[in-house]
This record gives sequence, C-alpha cells and structure tokens, in this order.
Amino acid sequence: MAPTRDRVRATASGPSAAPPRGRGLQRARRRAGLLMVAPAVLHALIWIGIPLVAAVVLSFTSYDVLTPPRFIGLENFRDLLSDNVFRRAVLNTSIYTFFTVPVAMGIALLIALMLNTRLAGRAIFRTAIFIPQVTATIAVALVWLWIYDPRSGLANAVLSFLGLDGPAWLSSTDWAMPAVIVVGIWQGIGLKMLIYLAALQSLPTDLYEAASVDGASKFRQFFSLTLPLLRPATFFVFVTSVIGAFQSFDQVYILTDGGPANSTTMMTYEIYKSAFREFRMGYACAQSLVLFALLLFLTLLNRRITGGDRATR
Amino acid sequence: MPPVETSGRARTGRIVLYLTLTAISVVMIVPFVWMLLTSVKSPGDIAAVPPRLFPTKWAFGNYVDALHAAPFATYARNSFVIAASHTVLNVLIASMAGYALARLRFRGSSLIFLAFVGALMIPTYTKILPEFLIVRFMPLFGGNDITGQGGTGWLDTWWALIIPGAVSPFSVFLFRQFYLDLPVELEEAARLDGLGELGIYARIMTPLVKPAFITVALLTFEGSWNNFLWPLLVTKSDSLRVIQVGLSVFRTENDTQWAFLMAGTTLATVPMVVLFLIGQRYFVQGFATAGIK
Repeated sequence: MAPTRDRVRATASGPSAAPPRGRGLQRARRRAGLLMVAPAVLHALIWIGIPLVAAVVLSFTSYDVLTPPRFIGLENFRDLLSDNVFRRAVLNTSIYTFFTVPVAMGIALLIALMLNTRLAGRAIFRTAIFIPQVTATIAVALVWLWIYDPRSGLANAVLSFLGLDGPAWLSSTDWAMPAVIVVGIWQGIGLKMLIYLAALQSLPTDLYEAASVDGASKFRQFFSLTLPLLRPATFFVFVTSVIGAFQSFDQVYILTDGGPANSTTMMTYEIYKSAFREFRMGYACAQSLVLFALLLFLTLLNRRITGGDRATR
Repeated sequence: MPPVETSGRARTGRIVLYLTLTAISVVMIVPFVWMLLTSVKSPGDIAAVPPRLFPTKWAFGNYVDALHAAPFATYARNSFVIAASHTVLNVLIASMAGYALARLRFRGSSLIFLAFVGALMIPTYTKILPEFLIVRFMPLFGGNDITGQGGTGWLDTWWALIIPGAVSPFSVFLFRQFYLDLPVELEEAARLDGLGELGIYARIMTPLVKPAFITVALLTFEGSWNNFLWPLLVTKSDSLRVIQVGLSVFRTENDTQWAFLMAGTTLATVPMVVLFLIGQRYFVQGFATAGIK
C-alpha cells in the first residue's frame, strides 16, 4: 500500500517531472516540513531523548539528588544481580505478564470470535467488555480493593453464597498475586478483544468460501486461515500489551504496596521505591534499563515468531 | 454464519453464546455497580457482614459529605484543566508533525519518523526519573539559578503537570497514519492554486481527517485524566492535586470511609465512561487503526 503511494508521489513531484518552479517549491516544502515537525521533535528531545541518555549515564553513578552524582562504574548492575527483591520483582512481572498478555489474549480472541457473528445486541456486549479499559486504574483499583475486603467485600460474599470460604486475598502471600492479575485481565481484555474483532471483520470472506467449498471444517479454517491472517493483529496486541503489563504500577500501588512479603512487587514498583523512597537515583536508573532491555527482547522475539511487524510500516 | 438457521442444534448454540457473553459482560460491569451502590450506603450497611447488595437506606447525601471531607471538586477541576491542555497541545503539535512526516518528505524525515516509533518502545519508567530531575532542576524557575540549583524548579507547578505531556509520540504516529491515506492529487491541485504548505495542511488536508482529530483528542484526554504517577511525583500541595492522586491520598488518610471513597471514585470514572459512550466510534477507530495498519 505505502510503496505504491510513494511511487506516485515520486513521479508526480520528482525533479524530472517538476515544472519550472519546481525547485523553489521543493525548497518551500522542505522548509515547511522542518518547521512543522520542529515543535514535536524539540519536545521529544527534551522529554524523551535527554532522559534516555541521562538514564544510561546515571546508571553508572551513585546519586541521591541532593549531592552531585558520583561515578561508580558497574557497581549498580553488580548490586542488581544480588538483589533478591528485584529478582522477585522480575519474576512477579513475568508471572503477571504471562497471565495478562498471552492468556488474556487467548480469552480475548475467543470473545472476539463470539462477537464476530450475526448477533442482536452485539454493540452492548462490546461496550460492556470495553468500559473498564477507559476508566482510571487508580479508581478501579480502589473499587477492587473494596471488593477484595475479606469481611465486607463482594468477592468473599459471592464465594460464601457458593458455599466456599474466601481467602484474605490481598493480605495473603498466595492470593495477592492472583487478585492483582484478575484486575489486570479485567481491565485489559476489552482492548485486546476490540483489536481482534476489528481484524476479524476485515478478513477476506472469499477465502472462507473457497475453504468451505474445499470441505475444510470450521475448526480447520480457524487454524489454517484465521490464525495466520490475524498475525499482524496478534503482533500489535502482544507488543502493546507487553509494554503495558511491564509497566503496571497503579494497581499494585493501591492494592498491595508490593506486599505481602514482596509477593506482588513489580519491576516498576522497585524502580519507584529505589528512586523516591530511598533516593537511590543511579540504582533506580539501572533497574529501569533492565526493564527496557527485557521489553526490547520480548518485542524482537515476538517479531521473529509472528514473522512481521506491519504495525510500524 | 448463514442468516437463517432453524435447526435445534443451532438454536442451542445461540443460547449458549448469549449466556456466555451475558456472563462475561456482567463480570465486567459488576465492579461499577458495586461502586455506585457503595457510594450511597450508610456506615451501617457498609459494615454489614455478609454485605448486602442494596442499601437499606439510600444515602445520597454521601456525595455532598464527600465533597466536604476532601476537595474532590478541586481535584476534578485540576484533572480537567490538565487533560484539556494536553488535548489541545497534542492535537496541534502532533498533527503538524504527523502531517509533515506523512506528506512533506524532507531530508531526515524518515529518520525522524523511525525515532518517533522507537520512542514508543521506551518505557515510562526509564524516562520518568530523568524527567523528574529535569523538572526539579529547571533553570530560573522556582528559585533555581541559571544552573538549576537553589530552588525547586517546576516541582509543584502547573508547568510540570502540563509541559512534559504536551506531545506524545503515539499521537504523532496516529496522525501520520491518517494523513498517509489522503490522495496526492488534492495536495498537488492546491499547490498549483498557489496555496502555501501550511495552508494546504490547515485548509485542505486537515478537514479531511477530522475523525483522526477526534480520536487523538479523546485518547489524549482519557490518558491524561487517568494519569497517576507523574502528578503524584511532581505535586505536593493540595490545590494542585489531580483526582487520581487525591483519591489515593484520601484512602491512606481516611482508611475506612468507603462510601466517600466510592463517591470520589464515581466522580473519577463516570466522566470517562460518558466520554467513551459518546465517542465510542472514535475510540474504536483509534485503537483499530493503530492495530491494523
């Protein structure tokens, strides 16, 4: 799609086809382009470019904000290797990401498939499932905090109605993480479903007709046609969801404060604690670079597996 | 699926489908219902074990009392001012950048585009510490000297709340995608008519991508309204608190006042739900565009 358009533009406005005034026009265009992109580039340089470089530089220092940073080489990274809490945070983030990304993506695809049928009230279902996505994580986490209340909360009320004895949820080392994961899935599944649904609706129907004529079962059609055709959507959902899951913070801040006994602390939470509770800026920067590196690794890995990234074309 | 299928099996399948989807939808909506019901419960109903779903006495006065217990109205106003500023700035600056990157190829434009895409990958938590330091050491503000020492810079000011979020790479990316789809002939014709490049952007091309503007505006407003960590880090005084920070502070300071807390939470969530219901088409289009193109 894009290459064709570029070719059209090249022949329409390239030097050979340009009218006599072409050179001046081209210069005006270049100048306008630079001018229009300048504010955004300047903003990105100050608030993304410099911070990225600063994070790398500061990760080699010991810095408490009040006194100037002191170069300490790789000491922060060496400390990281023996930091059991941070290792726990990496593990927790991975567990959380596993359930709120691949597992939730599977559920979201199932819902999308159910909604991709002729169905009265489809828009109502879609809206209901998507609404948690647009509400603030802080606000909904406060609602869930109340739902998880062991005595007067809704969760244990429903369980006791079913004849089960509910756990102490957020103060239990076994149940706090599942509780946080449930909130993550609940809030994030709508977006995944929506993107899958949009992708499903743009699939070419003639392929399915051909497959039906050839006698391929619905089951076979799903695995041989639908799943491969959904690859770009899968890649996009995966990348954006992993970026989101790795950066979950608000729900942990409200629900558990990383506890009990670090059972729900995440990498983001450790970065926050190092930087703003212990004022170890250099160490926090080193932690944040580990987070970045893991994200890059997962994205590239998924790109290899799904075999293409049409999202950034 | 064929339009008319009357066999018994198909009908059972349909019933199962409806029941499953209804169950899922109920699970998604119940927390909001629970929030609304709690916000109008009396202290006695809230402490009830086991909890009852509906209040025995509807305490609508909770909302008035909550506004007295904490300045939720100020918090909401702050959130609104910041979200509106972010929306206007993002739409203006990012649409110009997106247009330039999509339509006005110049030396370095593809490199700049790649840099924006790359910037999408950088986690907030890698940027946020240096961003905090930049705000803290902003020269010549908040008592700071030219080297950024001596004062508190932009900390606890509107600058810190508004400027860093003024443009997001994602908005630039979305605008570029939308501008890419416009036919090149329009642009050429306007150019022949002697319209300048800025005029072509503002008067010819932009009216054609109105949905993109609504989409970016809605997504920016929603993201800004829901943002928590950045306002938490850079503000201290109660008068600058945003609603999300105000809620979390209220919770730690008044641990058990669930009715007030849920009233405040309602105030924080309902505007976004309403905004979504009104602009649903554009939200969906925004996410779908980003996802499929």
